[in-house]
Amino acid sequence: MNREALIQIVKQPVQWIEDRTGVIAFSTPLLSHHVPRSAKWWYVFGSATLMFFTIQIVTGVCLGTMYAPSASNAWESLRYIDEEIPLGWMLRALHGWSSSAMVVMMAIHMLQVFMHGSFKFPRELNWITGVFLLLTVLALAFTGQVMRWDQDAYWGLGIGAAIVDRVPVFGDQMRALMLGGPIIGGETLNRFFALHVFILPGAAIGLVGVHMTLIMKNGISEMPKPGEIVVPSTYRKGFEERMEKSGVPFFPDAAQRDMVFCGVCLILLVFLAAYYGPFGPGGMPDPTLINTNPRPDYPFMWIFGAVSLLPPASETAIMLISPVVGIAILVAVPFLSNSGERAPSRRPGMMLLAVFVVMAIVALTWEGVTSPWSPVMDGWSALPTPTQFVKGRTPLQMQGAVVFQYAQCRNCHELGGFGGKRGPALDEIATRMSPDQIVRQVQQGGGNMPAFGKNLNSAQMTAIVGFLSTLRPANEADSTIPGAQLPLPIKSPLVLESPFTGTGVPAEISAGVSSR
Amino acid sequence: MRLQIATFLSCLSILAFVGCDRMPGKPKEATPVVIGSTAWTQSTFNTNCRGCHSQGAEGAAIPLIDAGYWKVATDAQVIQVIAQGQGVLMPSYLDSNGGPMSSDQIAEFVKGMRTLWGAGVSGGQGGISGTVVAGNASAGSQVFASACASCHAAGGSAGSVTDPMYLKLISNQGLWSAIVYGRAALGSPAWNQPMPQHPNGLTPTEVADVVSWIAQSRPMSSANAQVKSIPKDKNASDSK
Ligand code: HEC
Ligand code: HEC
Ligand code: HEC
Repeated sequence: MNREALIQIVKQPVQWIEDRTGVIAFSTPLLSHHVPRSAKWWYVFGSATLMFFTIQIVTGVCLGTMYAPSASNAWESLRYIDEEIPLGWMLRALHGWSSSAMVVMMAIHMLQVFMHGSFKFPRELNWITGVFLLLTVLALAFTGQVMRWDQDAYWGLGIGAAIVDRVPVFGDQMRALMLGGPIIGGETLNRFFALHVFILPGAAIGLVGVHMTLIMKNGISEMPKPGEIVVPSTYRKGFEERMEKSGVPFFPDAAQRDMVFCGVCLILLVFLAAYYGPFGPGGMPDPTLINTNPRPDYPFMWIFGAVSLLPPASETAIMLISPVVGIAILVAVPFLSNSGERAPSRRPGMMLLAVFVVMAIVALTWEGVTSPWSPVMDGWSALPTPTQFVKGRTPLQMQGAVVFQYAQCRNCHELGGFGGKRGPALDEIATRMSPDQIVRQVQQGGGNMPAFGKNLNSAQMTAIVGFLSTLRPANEADSTIPGAQLPLPIKSPLVLESPFTGTGVPAEISAGVSSR
Repeated sequence: MRLQIATFLSCLSILAFVGCDRMPGKPKEATPVVIGSTAWTQSTFNTNCRGCHSQGAEGAAIPLIDAGYWKVATDAQVIQVIAQGQGVLMPSYLDSNGGPMSSDQIAEFVKGMRTLWGAGVSGGQGGISGTVVAGNASAGSQVFASACASCHAAGGSAGSVTDPMYLKLISNQGLWSAIVYGRAALGSPAWNQPMPQHPNGLTPTEVADVVSWIAQSRPMSSANAQVKSIPKDKNASDSK
């Protein structure tokens, strides 16, 4: 067969398709449109983000064929993918690492756009769609963490629910909407599964489409030069002329660099995935295994860190208000200044701001990695009351020490150096608080402490206060403190419900983030 | 030539792909913890029980890392307690009560604990039952005066055992065990052992009598009520 005929065979169906769809006519300008000659390596981050997004979709769809989105099987199905499916673990590792890489790449892309002032006229909407993409991708990362359905997932949900819970008036309804009920359970997983595989990816694809269309419409910005000022009334004309004159076609000139960079990223990704393996699933839902200390995934570590540093008194306000303010500021960026200088050297204030934000996020991430924020979930059943707090106590005070365990106070409070660090250590509480004050603290809660009022009956309250009133430094020890006999204003002597739920008992992972 | 290179490269990549399954990132197969193994018993105890039942002077409830306890208590009795709870402060661990363990696991667990701390004794020894028996309260008042009042009388060094608030939190079985096993590390004598004024300790009847007498001061019969059924949506440590 000769060459002519061969070409004809290929050409005919292509022409047929082109005739019906116009796909070539549509895509040629996409590839050949002119981009600034100065657009060098600074401009590859957006493409790399898109590549990671594509990887997410491909690996995600593959995982979707094997993952069982039910509370009782999710964890097992991940183990199955890891251990039974050939290279299934690699699929999970790629999906996990690529998700983190995407968040990082996106942040770098955004930082570059910010530093080069590329968000200024006429690219304001590019920036804004970018902000919403960032939020969508973070939401994907968060819901993805929940898919593992392990203790970390439980942590993430617990904190999420606690934040939502703080919303005034609608707190309860919003938590019910988020969790699919009052507690973390099977419905919660279904809800997050729908978000993670249908709603959010759909939103992301739509936003990527808009983002790309805007890029085509407004062109890629040039490298900023000091003195080249953006003037909205004349910018477009000047830009188009410069592209005509000195621009280079996107393909192959700029695309080459994108491809090289994406290639390097891809190799790195495969290396990370092969070397470090998939994320989790951590802490198996088996009551007989020792708990891990639940932590969120890296993209959220800084939030975790920030929360641990918040003063308890203002926690609610800060947790609810700061995300809203943060997003509003991000969206407002191009409106605050959409003309004028773009060069970093002429915008020192903005550069300082960028450096500050980056450093803050790095520092908070570090804080998150090292902070002992979360309660020790099995403190109540695993950490014995230390000898010095048992010796010389009356039987009632001893029962108080048991109630202290039973009511899970230990999960948040240290005794003798062991216990949760959510609240203050109580080793010397008797020197700081009178029995009356302790009663008030335990009944009404305060700060981040739940109110136990209705959950402890009068005997339990008397015993626990009697016990806490003996906690003072050794040299002040007083072995014959009579059991505290307080007139307690307790109306409903309900018996404290069993401590099982969630806690050291992840089989009950469905158990709850309770209301008071 | 080109063909050879291409073949070589594709073979190499196939090899790399196959080798991929042995990369360091591949998760190690989860080493299943063998139910009934020493490690399993130990870790189950350390996560679920040690907070309340430890050893010596540590922990606020009766120590279980204690040969004296395992000498008297029988497996059946301990299994029953773990499964159903006891009094108001000992939770029930059986899964059908909302706890984390199946009945098989509880049986294995008790066997494991006996192996670890029971010093080869099968229980039911020590001359006294491990479970509370009914007694005569008025006879108990005599026993209390002669054996206990020196430490537990009003204003005594060891504190009151007839405080109604205390009695609301402990079951008769709990009183029985406190008297039978004592807590040497805390200066609380074990009454199945000889004591200075009571060379033979107390007889089972005397212990039963004194328990009945002490229990009279309990305001309601609440503490003998079994553990409440366990709702799954309450968890103190997770609330705001
Ligand atoms: C969810 C975690 C949590 C649990 C569970 C918890 N607390 Fe707290 N507790 C806290 C926090 C947080 C604070 C600090 C509150 C503040 O700053 O106002 C606190 C403060 C206190 C204080 C005051 C300490 C001080 O130095 O001011 C006492 C006393 C106390 N808790 C006792 C208890 C007792 C008793 C229990 C069990 C019935 C308990 N807590 C359970 C978190 C907890
Ligand atoms: C030598 C002093 C002494 C004598 C005699 C004594 N006890 Fe005690 N008892 C203690 C001490 C000390 C404690 C505190 C340690 C503790 O709470 O376990 C205690 C604790 C108790 C407890 C509470 C155990 C708990 O953990 O709730 C009970 C019940 C008790 N004794 C009953 C008795 C009875 C009944 C007698 C008489 C047969 C008796 N004791 C005789 C010293 C004594
Ligand atoms: C929150 C503290 C707490 C935890 C955790 C706890 N217990 Fe208990 N346990 C108690 C108390 C308090 C009693 C005595 C209750 C009573 O008699 O009123 C008790 C009683 C017992 C008894 C009966 C002792 C006797 O009188 O013969 C056994 C056996 C026991 N527990 C085993 C366990 C085991 C095994 C675990 C772990 C799976 C465990 N407990 C976890 C508090 C606890």
